[in-house]
Amino acid sequence: MNDPAESRKAANHLLSVGKLACGADVDPLLEQVADGSGGQLNAHQRDCVHCRAAIGEFTALWDPVRELAATPVPAPAELTATVIRRIRRLVHDVGYTLQITDGGAIRIAACIVAVLARDSARLVPGVRVAFGRSSHRTLGAFAGDGPLGQRPAAAAGVLGRTAVVDLAVAVNYGMPVQDVARDIQRQVIAALHHGLGLQNVTVNVTVDDVLDNAAD
Amino acid sequence: MPEVDDAYLVSRAQAGHPDAYEFLVQRHSGMAYRVALRLVGNHHEAQEIAQEALVTAWESLASFHADSSFSTWLYRIVTRRALNKVTRSRSDRSLDLLDDVPSSGDRTAAHVERNLMMDAVTNALATLPFSQRVVIVLHHFEGLSYAEVASVTRSTVPAVRSHLFRARRTLATRLEEWR
Repeated sequence: MNDPAESRKAANHLLSVGKLACGADVDPLLEQVADGSGGQLNAHQRDCVHCRAAIGEFTALWDPVRELAATPVPAPAELTATVIRRIRRLVHDVGYTLQITDGGAIRIAACIVAVLARDSARLVPGVRVAFGRSSHRTLGAFAGDGPLGQRPAAAAGVLGRTAVVDLAVAVNYGMPVQDVARDIQRQVIAALHHGLGLQNVTVNVTVDDVLDNAAD
Repeated sequence: MPEVDDAYLVSRAQAGHPDAYEFLVQRHSGMAYRVALRLVGNHHEAQEIAQEALVTAWESLASFHADSSFSTWLYRIVTRRALNKVTRSRSDRSLDLLDDVPSSGDRTAAHVERNLMMDAVTNALATLPFSQRVVIVLHHFEGLSYAEVASVTRSTVPAVRSHLFRARRTLATRLEEWR
């Protein structure tokens, strides 16, 4: 039945009539088609022209639904970046490194220190994934109880040219964990020194998972 | 993006690593937007719902106890926010699901006809009651099983089947009016 007007009449009829001439209920046929089983006819349907015609009508009706469902809906390009920006503001990591140069002061946000440390760690062979965070308590330990140590900025993991970074790392199964951890410390310290000019860097590495090479 | 599963990223994020959550955002923002768009039918509202849902999930992460998957949890937050938006606006405007689908520039009769059909489905979807729209979107568009839809909607499998039965019938009837 290729004529749209005929098709419309037929399907309208089907939906309102409730039963076919053969006695079969109409609704289960729509369910069958919508479930993607329109091609799997039972014994009755194989021999019944009424059922086969009804299934054909419902298939024509439901195909555009299936096609729309399969149409990609790309997310707006800025969505992910906007959400991540908002979350970083919520984390409220307000600490900055401070370097006094002849040209003035250079401040680098603690979150940048954490990102650079994390990204450097990820480049170390054997590292599957690494996450950085600022180290509140550890920094407090060497910042003492002085005014800086009590300020919110001190809780960010950076102070002057000093940084403390905690890294949580998962390594690939079979890698020598301790060697990987030492390589991470070396690489992160070098990256923060060369990239940000930090001179006193402590890198605490926690290897908290060993993951198989297959994607989880 | 690292080849680690959502549960691992959630555990790291709960342990205080916001960058682990950033991976979850990268992985699931597309889904959040897509579902929101199909439920509210407006690009700007869908973007707002997706943003708020992802930020809400971060703020509520401590209360997530992995009794469901992260994606199921996020589906739940997105659909709730979409429901709030729809309830507030009660808009009758047509959905614009295809507004952001890149156009191939093909203006053949077949292409135009296809777009008309897609618009017809989109508009028919928009006329469904929200509870029926949710089950159609989650099951037929997102490919969730009945059990998963029940988990997202905090319902039961028989209730989902019942909603889906009515939704399919309503959608088929509405589609007929467009043909």
